[in-house]
Amino acid sequence: MDLLRDILDKQVVDREQVKIGKVDGLVAELRPGKPPRIVAIELGAITLARRLGARPGRWTAQLAARLGGKRHGEPHRIAWNKVQDIGVDIQFDIDVRETSIFAWQDWLRDHVIGRIPGA
Amino acid sequence: MKKLLEISLGVVTSVGGFLEVGSMATAAQAGAAFGFQLIWAVVLGTICIIFLVEMAGRFAAVSHHTIADGIRERFGFTAFLWPLVAILLVNFLVMSAEIGGVAIALELATGIGFQWWALPVAFLAWLLLWKGTFGFIEKGVSILGLVTLCFVVGAVMLKPDWRAVATGAVPTLPAHDAATYWFMAVSILGASISPYLFMFYSSGAIEDQWDESYLGANRAIAGLGMTFGGTISVSVLIVAALVLATNGIDQVDDYHQLPLMLIPIFGFWGFVLFVASLAIACFGAALEVGLQQAYLVAQGFGWTWGENQKPRDNPGFSSVYTLSTFLAAVPIALGLDPLRLTIFSMALTAASLPLSVVPFLFLLNDKRYVGEHRNGVISNAAVIFIIALGFVLAVVTIPLQIFGGT
Repeated sequence: MDLLRDILDKQVVDREQVKIGKVDGLVAELRPGKPPRIVAIELGAITLARRLGARPGRWTAQLAARLGGKRHGEPHRIAWNKVQDIGVDIQFDIDVRETSIFAWQDWLRDHVIGRIPGA
Repeated sequence: MKKLLEISLGVVTSVGGFLEVGSMATAAQAGAAFGFQLIWAVVLGTICIIFLVEMAGRFAAVSHHTIADGIRERFGFTAFLWPLVAILLVNFLVMSAEIGGVAIALELATGIGFQWWALPVAFLAWLLLWKGTFGFIEKGVSILGLVTLCFVVGAVMLKPDWRAVATGAVPTLPAHDAATYWFMAVSILGASISPYLFMFYSSGAIEDQWDESYLGANRAIAGLGMTFGGTISVSVLIVAALVLATNGIDQVDDYHQLPLMLIPIFGFWGFVLFVASLAIACFGAALEVGLQQAYLVAQGFGWTWGENQKPRDNPGFSSVYTLSTFLAAVPIALGLDPLRLTIFSMALTAASLPLSVVPFLFLLNDKRYVGEHRNGVISNAAVIFIIALGFVLAVVTIPLQIFGGT
Protein backbone atom coordinates (compact mmCIF):
# COMPACT_ATOMS: atom_id res chain seq x y z
CA MET A 1 0.00 0.00 0.00
CA ASP A 2 1.19 3.50 -0.86
CA LEU A 3 0.57 5.49 2.34
CA LEU A 4 0.59 8.92 0.75
CA ARG A 5 -1.63 7.81 -2.13
CA ASP A 6 -4.05 5.53 -0.33
CA ILE A 7 -4.29 6.92 3.21
CA LEU A 8 -3.28 10.58 3.49
CA ASP A 9 -6.10 13.08 2.81
CA LYS A 10 -8.76 10.36 2.49
CA GLN A 11 -12.18 10.71 4.09
CA VAL A 12 -12.39 9.34 7.64
CA VAL A 13 -15.68 7.88 8.88
CA ASP A 14 -16.52 6.39 12.25
CA ARG A 15 -18.29 3.08 12.81
CA GLU A 16 -21.65 4.78 12.24
CA GLN A 17 -20.39 6.12 8.86
CA VAL A 18 -20.35 9.68 10.27
CA LYS A 19 -17.88 11.84 8.32
CA ILE A 20 -15.40 13.07 10.91
CA GLY A 21 -12.68 14.62 8.77
CA LYS A 22 -9.93 13.78 6.36
CA VAL A 23 -6.66 12.03 7.22
CA ASP A 24 -4.74 15.27 7.78
CA GLY A 25 -1.53 13.60 8.96
CA LEU A 26 0.13 10.24 9.61
CA VAL A 27 2.10 9.30 12.73
CA ALA A 28 4.86 6.75 12.20
CA GLU A 29 7.01 4.98 14.74
CA LEU A 30 10.69 4.56 13.89
CA ARG A 31 12.02 1.16 14.90
CA PRO A 32 15.75 0.36 14.94
CA GLY A 33 16.63 -2.16 12.25
CA LYS A 34 13.04 -2.43 11.00
CA PRO A 35 10.91 -0.33 8.61
CA PRO A 36 8.85 2.42 10.27
CA ARG A 37 5.31 1.56 11.25
CA ILE A 38 2.13 3.66 11.16
CA VAL A 39 0.72 3.98 14.67
CA ALA A 40 -1.96 6.67 14.27
CA ILE A 41 -3.58 9.20 12.02
CA GLU A 42 -4.01 12.86 12.92
CA LEU A 43 -6.94 15.16 12.21
CA GLY A 44 -7.57 18.84 12.64
CA ALA A 45 -6.39 22.35 12.03
CA ILE A 46 -3.05 21.99 13.85
CA THR A 47 -1.96 19.10 11.65
CA LEU A 48 -3.09 20.93 8.53
CA ALA A 49 -1.24 24.09 9.56
CA ARG A 50 1.93 22.05 10.16
CA ARG A 51 1.75 20.85 6.57
CA LEU A 52 2.04 24.47 5.49
CA GLY A 53 5.14 25.02 7.63
CA ALA A 54 6.50 24.90 11.18
CA ARG A 55 5.49 28.45 12.01
CA PRO A 56 1.80 28.25 10.98
CA GLY A 57 1.70 24.97 12.89
CA ARG A 58 3.01 26.57 16.08
CA TRP A 59 0.63 29.54 15.77
CA THR A 60 -2.39 27.33 15.20
CA ALA A 61 -1.47 25.13 18.16
CA GLN A 62 -1.14 28.18 20.42
CA LEU A 63 -4.43 29.60 19.16
CA ALA A 64 -6.20 26.27 19.63
CA ALA A 65 -4.84 25.92 23.16
CA ARG A 66 -5.96 29.44 24.03
CA LEU A 67 -9.46 28.92 22.60
CA GLY A 68 -10.14 25.38 23.69
CA GLY A 69 -7.88 24.76 26.66
CA LYS A 70 -4.74 22.68 26.90
CA ARG A 71 -6.25 19.48 25.55
CA HIS A 72 -6.84 21.20 22.20
CA GLY A 73 -3.21 22.34 21.89
CA GLU A 74 -2.35 18.93 20.38
CA PRO A 75 -3.81 17.44 17.18
CA HIS A 76 -6.51 14.76 17.44
CA ARG A 77 -5.14 11.26 17.00
CA ILE A 78 -6.85 7.99 16.16
CA ALA A 79 -4.83 4.83 16.78
CA TRP A 80 -4.13 2.87 13.63
CA ASN A 81 -5.20 -0.41 15.27
CA LYS A 82 -8.77 0.93 15.31
CA VAL A 83 -8.91 0.86 11.53
CA GLN A 84 -11.80 -1.24 10.22
CA ASP A 85 -11.91 -0.74 6.49
CA ILE A 86 -9.70 0.92 3.91
CA GLY A 87 -11.48 1.81 0.71
CA VAL A 88 -12.18 5.14 -0.89
CA ASP A 89 -13.12 6.11 2.70
CA ILE A 90 -11.24 4.92 5.74
CA GLN A 91 -13.40 3.60 8.55
CA PHE A 92 -12.29 3.48 12.18
CA ASP A 93 -13.93 1.53 14.97
CA ILE A 94 -14.63 4.59 17.09
CA ASP A 95 -17.62 6.75 17.92
CA VAL A 96 -16.93 10.39 17.12
CA ARG A 97 -19.15 11.49 20.04
CA GLU A 98 -16.68 9.90 22.47
CA THR A 99 -13.79 11.97 21.07
CA SER A 100 -13.10 15.69 21.17
CA ILE A 101 -12.80 15.92 17.35
CA PHE A 102 -16.15 17.67 16.99
CA ALA A 103 -15.76 19.80 20.15
CA TRP A 104 -15.70 22.98 18.04
CA GLN A 105 -18.86 21.94 16.18
CA ASP A 106 -20.55 21.26 19.53
CA TRP A 107 -19.44 24.67 20.76
CA LEU A 108 -20.85 26.29 17.61
CA ARG A 109 -24.13 24.43 18.08
CA ASP A 110 -24.47 25.36 21.75
CA HIS A 111 -23.39 28.98 21.48
CA VAL A 112 -24.33 30.17 18.00
CA ILE A 113 -26.30 27.95 15.62
CA GLY A 114 -28.58 26.43 18.26
CA ARG A 115 -29.60 29.89 19.47
CA ILE A 116 -30.92 31.01 16.10
CA PRO A 117 -34.65 30.23 15.81
CA GLY A 118 -35.51 27.24 13.63
CA ALA A 119 -32.17 25.48 14.01
CA MET B 1 -41.91 6.67 -16.17
CA LYS B 2 -40.44 7.66 -12.83
CA LYS B 3 -37.04 8.09 -14.45
CA LEU B 4 -38.59 10.23 -17.17
CA LEU B 5 -40.13 12.50 -14.57
CA GLU B 6 -36.81 12.66 -12.78
CA ILE B 7 -35.01 13.56 -15.98
CA SER B 8 -37.45 16.34 -16.82
CA LEU B 9 -37.19 17.72 -13.31
CA GLY B 10 -33.41 17.53 -13.57
CA VAL B 11 -33.47 19.35 -16.89
CA VAL B 12 -35.62 22.12 -15.44
CA THR B 13 -33.28 22.31 -12.46
CA SER B 14 -30.17 22.66 -14.52
CA VAL B 15 -31.80 25.37 -16.64
CA GLY B 16 -32.40 27.18 -13.35
CA GLY B 17 -28.76 26.76 -12.43
CA PHE B 18 -27.45 27.84 -15.81
CA LEU B 19 -29.24 31.12 -16.24
CA GLU B 20 -28.12 33.72 -13.75
CA VAL B 21 -27.04 37.34 -13.64
CA GLY B 22 -23.77 36.64 -15.43
CA SER B 23 -25.20 34.88 -18.45
CA MET B 24 -28.02 37.43 -18.77
CA ALA B 25 -25.78 40.49 -18.46
CA THR B 26 -22.98 39.24 -20.69
CA ALA B 27 -25.39 38.02 -23.38
CA ALA B 28 -27.28 41.34 -23.34
CA GLN B 29 -24.05 43.35 -23.58
CA ALA B 30 -22.73 41.21 -26.40
CA GLY B 31 -25.99 41.42 -28.37
CA ALA B 32 -26.22 45.18 -28.03
CA ALA B 33 -22.62 45.81 -29.04
CA PHE B 34 -21.95 43.14 -31.68
CA GLY B 35 -25.31 41.86 -32.88
CA PHE B 36 -25.31 38.09 -33.40
CA GLN B 37 -21.54 37.94 -33.82
CA LEU B 38 -20.79 36.54 -30.33
CA ILE B 39 -23.34 33.72 -30.34
CA TRP B 40 -20.43 31.32 -30.86
CA ALA B 41 -19.12 32.16 -27.37
CA VAL B 42 -22.42 31.07 -25.79
CA VAL B 43 -22.43 27.90 -27.90
CA LEU B 44 -18.82 27.07 -27.03
CA GLY B 45 -19.39 27.75 -23.32
CA THR B 46 -22.50 25.58 -23.35
CA ILE B 47 -20.70 22.64 -24.98
CA CYS B 48 -17.89 22.89 -22.41
CA ILE B 49 -20.28 23.01 -19.45
CA ILE B 50 -22.26 20.02 -20.78
CA PHE B 51 -19.09 17.91 -20.62
CA LEU B 52 -18.06 19.16 -17.18
CA VAL B 53 -21.53 18.72 -15.66
CA GLU B 54 -21.86 15.22 -17.09
CA MET B 55 -18.48 14.28 -15.60
CA ALA B 56 -19.25 15.86 -12.23
CA GLY B 57 -22.51 13.90 -12.06
CA ARG B 58 -20.90 10.64 -13.19
CA PHE B 59 -18.09 11.04 -10.65
CA ALA B 60 -20.58 11.56 -7.83
CA ALA B 61 -22.99 8.81 -8.90
CA VAL B 62 -20.25 6.16 -9.18
CA SER B 63 -17.86 7.12 -6.36
CA HIS B 64 -20.35 8.73 -3.94
CA HIS B 65 -17.81 11.50 -3.61
CA THR B 66 -18.12 15.05 -4.87
CA ILE B 67 -15.59 16.83 -7.06
CA ALA B 68 -14.42 18.85 -4.03
CA ASP B 69 -13.90 15.61 -2.05
CA GLY B 70 -11.98 14.23 -4.98
CA ILE B 71 -9.67 17.21 -5.34
CA ARG B 72 -8.72 17.14 -1.65
CA GLU B 73 -8.30 13.38 -1.47
CA ARG B 74 -6.48 12.90 -4.75
CA PHE B 75 -4.14 15.91 -4.68
CA GLY B 76 -3.61 16.45 -0.96
CA PHE B 77 -4.24 19.38 1.32
CA THR B 78 -1.56 21.77 0.10
CA ALA B 79 -2.62 21.42 -3.54
CA PHE B 80 -6.30 21.65 -2.58
CA LEU B 81 -5.75 25.03 -0.90
CA TRP B 82 -5.31 26.77 -4.27
CA PRO B 83 -8.63 25.80 -5.85
CA LEU B 84 -10.28 26.18 -2.43
CA VAL B 85 -9.20 29.79 -2.01
CA ALA B 86 -9.77 30.65 -5.69
CA ILE B 87 -13.27 29.16 -5.82
CA LEU B 88 -14.29 30.64 -2.47
CA LEU B 89 -13.23 34.07 -3.71
CA VAL B 90 -14.86 33.74 -7.14
CA ASN B 91 -18.04 32.37 -5.55
CA PHE B 92 -18.11 35.29 -3.13
CA LEU B 93 -18.00 37.76 -6.02
CA VAL B 94 -20.53 35.80 -8.08
CA MET B 95 -22.92 35.55 -5.13
CA SER B 96 -22.55 39.24 -4.49
CA ALA B 97 -23.39 39.88 -8.15
CA GLU B 98 -26.45 37.61 -7.91
CA ILE B 99 -27.70 39.45 -4.82
CA GLY B 100 -27.06 42.64 -6.78
CA GLY B 101 -29.17 41.29 -9.65
CA VAL B 102 -32.13 40.62 -7.34
CA ALA B 103 -31.64 44.03 -5.73
CA ILE B 104 -31.68 45.76 -9.13
CA ALA B 105 -34.88 43.89 -10.07
CA LEU B 106 -36.47 45.08 -6.83
CA GLU B 107 -35.27 48.63 -7.51
CA LEU B 108 -36.85 48.50 -10.97
CA ALA B 109 -40.07 47.21 -9.43
CA THR B 110 -40.31 49.60 -6.48
CA GLY B 111 -38.10 52.61 -7.17
CA ILE B 112 -36.23 52.07 -3.90
CA GLY B 113 -32.45 52.10 -4.44
CA PHE B 114 -30.79 48.72 -4.93
CA GLN B 115 -28.38 49.02 -2.02
CA TRP B 116 -31.32 48.99 0.43
CA TRP B 117 -32.41 45.61 -0.91
CA ALA B 118 -29.08 43.78 -0.46
CA LEU B 119 -29.55 42.79 3.19
CA PRO B 120 -33.26 41.84 2.93
CA VAL B 121 -32.45 39.68 -0.12
CA ALA B 122 -29.55 38.03 1.70
CA PHE B 123 -31.80 37.43 4.70
CA LEU B 124 -34.48 35.77 2.58
CA ALA B 125 -31.86 33.59 0.87
CA TRP B 126 -30.41 32.61 4.22
CA LEU B 127 -33.89 31.83 5.60
CA LEU B 128 -34.58 29.43 2.72
CA LEU B 129 -31.22 27.73 3.22
CA TRP B 130 -31.83 27.55 6.97
CA LYS B 131 -35.33 26.11 6.82
CA GLY B 132 -35.53 24.50 3.38
CA THR B 133 -34.49 21.05 2.20
CA PHE B 134 -32.34 20.43 -0.85
CA GLY B 135 -35.30 19.27 -2.95
CA PHE B 136 -37.38 22.28 -1.96
CA ILE B 137 -34.66 24.73 -2.97
CA GLU B 138 -33.69 22.85 -6.11
CA LYS B 139 -37.20 22.34 -7.45
CA GLY B 140 -38.89 25.50 -6.19
CA VAL B 141 -36.31 27.80 -7.66
CA SER B 142 -36.09 26.00 -10.97
CA ILE B 143 -39.84 25.81 -11.58
CA LEU B 144 -40.16 29.55 -10.92
CA GLY B 145 -37.12 29.97 -13.17
CA LEU B 146 -39.16 28.83 -16.16
CA VAL B 147 -40.33 32.45 -16.41
CA THR B 148 -37.02 33.12 -18.19
CA LEU B 149 -38.45 31.23 -21.17
CA CYS B 150 -40.10 34.57 -22.02
CA PHE B 151 -36.78 35.49 -23.67
CA VAL B 152 -37.09 32.52 -26.02
CA VAL B 153 -40.68 33.48 -26.87
CA GLY B 154 -39.53 37.06 -27.36
CA ALA B 155 -36.65 36.07 -29.62
CA VAL B 156 -38.95 33.98 -31.82
CA MET B 157 -41.60 36.72 -31.97
CA LEU B 158 -39.00 39.20 -33.19
CA LYS B 159 -38.55 36.98 -36.26
CA PRO B 160 -34.76 37.26 -36.44
CA ASP B 161 -32.94 36.35 -39.63
CA TRP B 162 -32.17 32.76 -38.60
CA ARG B 163 -29.42 32.47 -41.17
CA ALA B 164 -27.65 35.42 -39.52
CA VAL B 165 -28.16 33.74 -36.12
CA ALA B 166 -26.55 30.54 -37.42
CA THR B 167 -23.68 32.53 -38.91
CA GLY B 168 -23.08 34.03 -35.46
CA ALA B 169 -22.45 30.53 -34.10
CA VAL B 170 -19.21 30.46 -36.10
CA PRO B 171 -16.38 32.51 -34.54
CA THR B 172 -15.36 35.52 -36.63
CA LEU B 173 -13.02 38.44 -36.13
CA PRO B 174 -14.62 41.72 -35.04
CA ALA B 175 -14.85 44.67 -37.42
CA HIS B 176 -14.53 47.22 -34.60
CA ASP B 177 -13.51 47.44 -30.90
CA ALA B 178 -11.46 44.25 -30.94
CA ALA B 179 -10.47 44.44 -27.25
CA THR B 180 -14.09 44.87 -26.16
CA TYR B 181 -15.14 42.00 -28.41
CA TRP B 182 -12.66 39.59 -26.90
CA PHE B 183 -13.33 40.78 -23.38
CA MET B 184 -17.03 40.04 -23.92
CA ALA B 185 -16.20 36.63 -25.36
CA VAL B 186 -14.16 35.88 -22.23
CA SER B 187 -16.95 37.10 -19.92
CA ILE B 188 -19.54 34.97 -21.74
CA LEU B 189 -17.31 31.91 -21.41
CA GLY B 190 -16.80 32.69 -17.72
CA ALA B 191 -20.55 33.06 -17.23
CA SER B 192 -21.26 29.75 -18.97
CA ILE B 193 -18.45 27.61 -17.54
CA SER B 194 -19.05 28.39 -13.86
CA PRO B 195 -17.21 26.21 -11.34
CA TYR B 196 -20.10 26.62 -8.92
CA LEU B 197 -22.39 25.01 -11.46
CA PHE B 198 -20.57 21.70 -11.84
CA MET B 199 -19.42 21.54 -8.24
CA PHE B 200 -22.97 22.19 -7.06
CA TYR B 201 -24.23 19.55 -9.46
CA SER B 202 -21.93 16.89 -8.00
CA SER B 203 -23.05 17.77 -4.46
CA GLY B 204 -26.67 17.65 -5.63
CA ALA B 205 -26.14 14.14 -6.98
CA ILE B 206 -25.05 13.07 -3.47
CA GLU B 207 -27.96 14.93 -1.82
CA ASP B 208 -30.36 13.15 -4.18
CA GLN B 209 -28.58 9.81 -3.47
CA TRP B 210 -27.62 8.97 -7.01
CA ASP B 211 -25.95 5.69 -7.81
CA GLU B 212 -24.79 4.00 -11.01
CA SER B 213 -28.39 3.51 -12.19
CA TYR B 214 -28.53 7.29 -12.71
CA LEU B 215 -25.74 7.44 -15.28
CA GLY B 216 -28.18 7.57 -18.20
CA ALA B 217 -30.34 10.18 -16.49
CA ASN B 218 -27.20 12.15 -15.69
CA ARG B 219 -26.18 12.23 -19.34
CA ALA B 220 -29.65 13.35 -20.42
CA ILE B 221 -29.90 16.02 -17.73
CA ALA B 222 -26.45 17.42 -18.46
CA GLY B 223 -27.01 17.47 -22.21
CA LEU B 224 -30.59 18.71 -22.35
CA GLY B 225 -30.50 20.98 -19.31
CA MET B 226 -27.40 22.88 -20.37
CA THR B 227 -28.61 23.06 -23.97
CA PHE B 228 -31.88 24.64 -22.83
CA GLY B 229 -29.92 27.03 -20.59
CA GLY B 230 -27.69 27.95 -23.53
CA THR B 231 -30.75 28.46 -25.72
CA ILE B 232 -32.17 30.97 -23.25
CA SER B 233 -28.81 32.79 -23.17
CA VAL B 234 -28.74 32.93 -26.97
CA SER B 235 -32.32 34.26 -26.88
CA VAL B 236 -31.28 37.05 -24.50
CA LEU B 237 -28.48 37.89 -26.93
CA ILE B 238 -30.86 37.89 -29.93
CA VAL B 239 -33.41 40.08 -28.16
CA ALA B 240 -30.67 42.48 -27.06
CA ALA B 241 -29.25 42.62 -30.58
CA LEU B 242 -32.62 43.37 -32.18
CA VAL B 243 -34.17 45.65 -29.56
CA LEU B 244 -31.37 47.46 -27.76
CA ALA B 245 -29.25 48.15 -30.82
CA THR B 246 -32.21 49.47 -32.84
CA ASN B 247 -33.08 51.79 -29.95
CA GLY B 248 -29.61 53.29 -30.06
CA ILE B 249 -28.13 51.37 -27.13
CA ASP B 250 -24.96 49.70 -28.33
CA GLN B 251 -23.22 49.77 -24.98
CA VAL B 252 -24.99 48.35 -21.96
CA ASP B 253 -23.33 49.98 -18.98
CA ASP B 254 -26.30 50.21 -16.66
CA TYR B 255 -28.90 47.64 -15.62
CA HIS B 256 -31.62 50.27 -16.07
CA GLN B 257 -31.22 49.95 -19.85
CA LEU B 258 -32.14 46.29 -19.83
CA PRO B 259 -35.92 46.20 -19.07
CA LEU B 260 -36.37 47.97 -22.41
CA MET B 261 -35.48 44.65 -24.06
CA LEU B 262 -38.88 43.00 -23.71
CA ILE B 263 -41.14 46.08 -23.84
CA PRO B 264 -41.39 46.36 -27.67
CA ILE B 265 -42.46 42.70 -27.72
CA PHE B 266 -44.80 42.36 -24.74
CA GLY B 267 -45.62 45.97 -23.87
CA PHE B 268 -45.94 46.68 -20.13
CA TRP B 269 -45.87 42.95 -19.39
CA GLY B 270 -42.44 42.90 -20.98
CA PHE B 271 -41.23 45.06 -18.13
CA VAL B 272 -42.86 42.75 -15.56
CA LEU B 273 -41.44 39.64 -17.24
CA PHE B 274 -37.95 41.13 -17.34
CA VAL B 275 -38.02 42.11 -13.69
CA ALA B 276 -39.38 38.70 -12.66
CA SER B 277 -36.82 36.85 -14.79
CA LEU B 278 -33.93 38.85 -13.39
CA ALA B 279 -35.10 38.51 -9.79
CA ILE B 280 -35.85 34.78 -9.91
CA ALA B 281 -32.81 33.71 -11.95
CA CYS B 282 -30.45 35.68 -9.71
CA PHE B 283 -32.12 34.63 -6.47
CA GLY B 284 -31.93 30.98 -7.45
CA ALA B 285 -28.28 31.32 -8.34
CA ALA B 286 -27.58 33.12 -5.04
CA LEU B 287 -29.07 30.17 -3.13
CA GLU B 288 -27.00 27.68 -5.12
CA VAL B 289 -23.74 29.60 -4.74
CA GLY B 290 -24.35 30.06 -1.01
CA LEU B 291 -24.89 26.33 -0.59
CA GLN B 292 -21.88 25.60 -2.77
CA GLN B 293 -19.62 27.62 -0.45
CA ALA B 294 -20.70 25.43 2.45
CA TYR B 295 -20.39 22.22 0.41
CA LEU B 296 -16.88 23.15 -0.69
CA VAL B 297 -15.56 23.87 2.80
CA ALA B 298 -17.31 20.93 4.47
CA GLN B 299 -16.22 18.47 1.79
CA GLY B 300 -12.68 19.80 1.66
CA PHE B 301 -12.21 19.30 5.39
CA GLY B 302 -14.27 16.12 5.62
CA TRP B 303 -17.04 17.39 7.91
CA THR B 304 -20.57 16.07 7.78
CA TRP B 305 -22.76 18.08 5.45
CA GLY B 306 -26.21 18.02 3.91
CA GLU B 307 -28.95 20.52 3.27
CA ASN B 308 -31.59 17.95 4.26
CA GLN B 309 -30.50 17.89 7.89
CA LYS B 310 -31.29 20.52 10.48
CA PRO B 311 -28.71 23.29 10.93
CA ARG B 312 -28.01 22.12 14.51
CA ASP B 313 -26.90 18.74 13.19
CA ASN B 314 -24.25 20.32 10.95
CA PRO B 315 -23.11 23.45 12.79
CA GLY B 316 -19.95 23.88 10.73
CA PHE B 317 -21.75 23.49 7.41
CA SER B 318 -24.59 25.85 8.30
CA SER B 319 -22.18 28.46 9.70
CA VAL B 320 -20.39 28.61 6.35
CA TYR B 321 -23.51 29.34 4.30
CA THR B 322 -24.77 31.80 6.90
CA LEU B 323 -21.50 33.74 6.82
CA SER B 324 -21.13 33.63 3.04
CA THR B 325 -24.69 34.81 2.42
CA PHE B 326 -24.43 37.88 4.61
CA LEU B 327 -20.84 38.73 3.60
CA ALA B 328 -21.86 38.63 -0.06
CA ALA B 329 -24.54 41.25 0.61
CA VAL B 330 -22.00 43.74 1.95
CA PRO B 331 -20.52 45.06 -1.35
CA ILE B 332 -24.03 45.65 -2.75
CA ALA B 333 -25.25 47.26 0.48
CA LEU B 334 -22.25 49.61 0.22
CA GLY B 335 -23.46 50.65 -3.22
CA LEU B 336 -21.01 48.81 -5.51
CA ASP B 337 -22.41 48.82 -9.04
CA PRO B 338 -23.93 45.34 -9.61
CA LEU B 339 -23.32 45.33 -13.38
CA ARG B 340 -19.62 46.13 -13.06
CA LEU B 341 -19.31 43.54 -10.31
CA THR B 342 -21.07 40.98 -12.51
CA ILE B 343 -18.81 41.51 -15.51
CA PHE B 344 -15.71 41.57 -13.32
CA SER B 345 -16.64 38.36 -11.52
CA MET B 346 -17.43 36.56 -14.80
CA ALA B 347 -14.00 37.47 -16.15
CA LEU B 348 -12.38 36.33 -12.90
CA THR B 349 -14.32 33.05 -13.12
CA ALA B 350 -12.82 32.51 -16.56
CA ALA B 351 -9.35 33.24 -15.20
CA SER B 352 -9.77 30.71 -12.37
CA LEU B 353 -10.88 27.88 -14.65
CA PRO B 354 -7.58 25.95 -14.87
CA LEU B 355 -7.61 25.42 -11.08
CA SER B 356 -11.03 23.83 -11.07
CA VAL B 357 -10.90 21.98 -14.40
CA VAL B 358 -7.44 20.35 -14.34
CA PRO B 359 -8.53 17.95 -11.54
CA PHE B 360 -11.26 16.53 -13.82
CA LEU B 361 -8.60 15.01 -16.05
CA PHE B 362 -7.20 13.01 -13.14
CA LEU B 363 -10.35 12.27 -11.16
CA LEU B 364 -12.40 11.00 -14.09
CA ASN B 365 -9.60 8.66 -15.11
CA ASP B 366 -8.97 7.27 -11.62
CA LYS B 367 -10.19 3.68 -11.43
CA ARG B 368 -10.47 3.76 -7.65
CA TYR B 369 -13.19 6.41 -7.93
CA VAL B 370 -14.98 5.76 -11.19
CA GLY B 371 -13.99 2.15 -11.95
CA GLU B 372 -15.16 1.09 -15.37
CA HIS B 373 -17.00 4.39 -15.89
CA ARG B 374 -13.76 6.18 -16.66
CA ASN B 375 -13.64 8.92 -19.27
CA GLY B 376 -13.57 7.78 -22.86
CA VAL B 377 -11.53 9.37 -25.61
CA ILE B 378 -14.14 12.04 -26.39
CA SER B 379 -14.58 13.16 -22.76
CA ASN B 380 -10.83 13.28 -22.22
CA ALA B 381 -10.34 15.25 -25.42
CA ALA B 382 -13.05 17.65 -24.20
CA VAL B 383 -11.37 18.09 -20.79
CA ILE B 384 -7.99 18.72 -22.39
CA PHE B 385 -9.60 21.26 -24.70
CA ILE B 386 -11.32 23.01 -21.76
CA ILE B 387 -8.06 23.04 -19.79
CA ALA B 388 -6.26 24.62 -22.75
CA LEU B 389 -9.09 27.12 -23.14
CA GLY B 390 -8.92 27.79 -19.39
CA PHE B 391 -5.19 28.58 -19.57
CA VAL B 392 -5.71 30.91 -22.54
CA LEU B 393 -8.52 32.67 -20.65
CA ALA B 394 -6.41 32.91 -17.49
CA VAL B 395 -3.63 34.63 -19.43
CA VAL B 396 -5.74 37.02 -21.52
CA THR B 397 -8.40 38.04 -18.98
CA ILE B 398 -6.45 40.66 -17.03
CA PRO B 399 -5.02 42.50 -20.08
CA LEU B 400 -8.46 42.41 -21.75
CA GLN B 401 -10.08 43.67 -18.55
CA ILE B 402 -7.79 46.69 -18.72
CA PHE B 403 -8.20 47.44 -22.43
CA GLY B 404 -11.66 46.12 -23.21
CA GLY B 405 -13.53 46.17 -19.89
CA THR B 406 -16.49 48.46 -19.46
